[in-house]
Amino acid sequence: MPYRLVLSPRLAVPRWLTAATLIGGIVFGLICCAIFLIAFGVPASDLGNEFILYVFGNSAGLDQTLTRAISLTLVSMSVALCLRIRFWNIGVEGQLWMGALAATAVSIYQIGPWFLRMPLMIVAAMVGGALWCGLAAVAKVRLRADEVITTLLLNYVAYLLAQDLLYGHWRNAADQFPMTPVFPKYEQLPNFGTWHLHYGLFIALIVVVFCWWLCRYSRFGLLSKAVSENRTASRALGIPVARITLTTACLAGAVSGLAGFSIISGEEHKLTQFVGNDFIFPSIAIAYLGRANPIGVFIAALAVAGLYTAGDSLKAFYQLPDTVVVTMEAFLLMTVAACDVFVRYRISILRQRPKVATEGQKA
Amino acid sequence: MNGFVTGFLGDWIGAIPVFAAPYLLATTGLIINERAGVMNLGAEGIMSMGAVAAVIAMLSGLGLPMAVLMGCLAALGMTLLFALLTVVLRLEQVLSGLVIFAFGVGLSGVIGDSFANQPIKALGPIYPAAFTGLPRWLARFTDQDPLTYFAFILPFIVWWVLEKTELGLRLRSVGENAPAADAAGVNVMLMRLGAVLVGGIILGLAGAHLSLVGSQVWVTGMVSGRGWIAVALVTFARWNTLRAIGAAVLFGAVQAVIPLLLSSGLHVPIYLIQMMPYLATIAVLAASGMGRLRASAQPEDLARPFLREERR
Repeated sequence: MPYRLVLSPRLAVPRWLTAATLIGGIVFGLICCAIFLIAFGVPASDLGNEFILYVFGNSAGLDQTLTRAISLTLVSMSVALCLRIRFWNIGVEGQLWMGALAATAVSIYQIGPWFLRMPLMIVAAMVGGALWCGLAAVAKVRLRADEVITTLLLNYVAYLLAQDLLYGHWRNAADQFPMTPVFPKYEQLPNFGTWHLHYGLFIALIVVVFCWWLCRYSRFGLLSKAVSENRTASRALGIPVARITLTTACLAGAVSGLAGFSIISGEEHKLTQFVGNDFIFPSIAIAYLGRANPIGVFIAALAVAGLYTAGDSLKAFYQLPDTVVVTMEAFLLMTVAACDVFVRYRISILRQRPKVATEGQKA
Repeated sequence: MNGFVTGFLGDWIGAIPVFAAPYLLATTGLIINERAGVMNLGAEGIMSMGAVAAVIAMLSGLGLPMAVLMGCLAALGMTLLFALLTVVLRLEQVLSGLVIFAFGVGLSGVIGDSFANQPIKALGPIYPAAFTGLPRWLARFTDQDPLTYFAFILPFIVWWVLEKTELGLRLRSVGENAPAADAAGVNVMLMRLGAVLVGGIILGLAGAHLSLVGSQVWVTGMVSGRGWIAVALVTFARWNTLRAIGAAVLFGAVQAVIPLLLSSGLHVPIYLIQMMPYLATIAVLAASGMGRLRASAQPEDLARPFLREERR
């Protein structure tokens, strides 16, 4: 082989290069998605229409996109918080289910007077999510169980627990569907006028601002940055690594739990089987695309929510299955992550020199 | 007692090999990856592709051997992508694995959509006559299809290659200390590439086993976490393919009891029963993380990309 591919690590990365590779990765990813969709029978001329005009251009599409963005922002923020200390939270779906279950329990067992019901549901949802994520964090800190696997498997456990309740004790006696009775009005988040968009948007915005403050200005944010850079050195410096891991995980779980509350109280108005569907990979993709930065996550969540709106209309018009959106997300994340190689390394193709006798061999 | 053995217990024992085989194949494939220092979290996606490709080949009338081959090829395609991301581009292995997981599950759902829920002809036992003299439960246990037999032979072959041959030594050295292996003249990239691809083909076999032998139908999302459980079983088996047999049989037994309990007519909470494999995985993961055994068995350079030019 006369040529050799050499990657040499860059010491300083110019800003324009970071931006250029991110944009390049997204564009390349979108091209891959377009080819993929055309291969599965979507006419090329309709793509622009579906993706841009419908998603952001008309009020029905915008409504759907923004509503979807609420829960996506919350679960992705959960992943992003954990990613900042290099804790892989792949269990947002389970945490979301546990949040939704805890909030529903408050509603079903009518805990507290009616005017306190919604705050209690919010608190319950946060506690439910926090416990579920905290469980994996405790297993990691105390027992060295890999959080990637434990958080992921806890998704299945939470989902099955919800199914058990929906087909069992919590099922609405009035009809045969596996869902709880509709919540009374005071347990529902209000909508914006006639839109589906609801006040959960404020919850998402508050969480974004809080996380931004937390990561950027708080002492906790600084310490967790140290933990993410080097765990061993942080421990040697006296930073409570285990406590920071646990706190971050519980906080992240609470944020995912809020997403569960926002869906049952704002969108479904009852607990159904479709509360925690398809959040695991999108949350990771959004957290990574947003560079684990709270503001970036919010922007990425809006964009990916648009992808879902487009996906819904693709499903309706071209009979494409549900998994088409997650495939497109995988394309996007793959290309963006692959393009990162240009940021981290200088890539050169060297011509291999013919072997020259060295000093040692001459002597 | 005799009635119990031939009844419930017999059915249970007889069903274990078929349920254990996919776990065993997947765990064996993943051990090959991890011993070379590559953590493949995409197992779930790769198995999905193997499962769906095998079913599509069967429904297109290609025959069983071709179906198995197609399953392996589809898995190989996914694995090539994974290898490109991790071994060549040196992306973070956890992230690359998650991308492959989503891509495999998503793509298998899309291409398998028009083939879903159509039953296929079973891959059945090969020597039904050979075990006629045995009690029924023992005959059911020993009389299996070729893929299941292969699943139980493969760990021995892989163990021999890893522990007893020079190739295995080189592969393990790459996983334990890549810079030292590089300095000793082992081509780290080539070794990891080979390990990832071979492991990927075996993951494809695991997927093909799930759809051709296990369910005999493709249902979207039917791998349902088995790839992830296999990742955990690697830790449980402490990176040893012989111990993987025990781990896989244990989890096969847990999985095999579920349909029996559901069809037994006993009043059991079905959804809570289905949690068992996941809870058991978390339990063994926590248990195997505690001792000093794990620290000594885990490859030192697991999930650490290697680039000669990079400072460690």
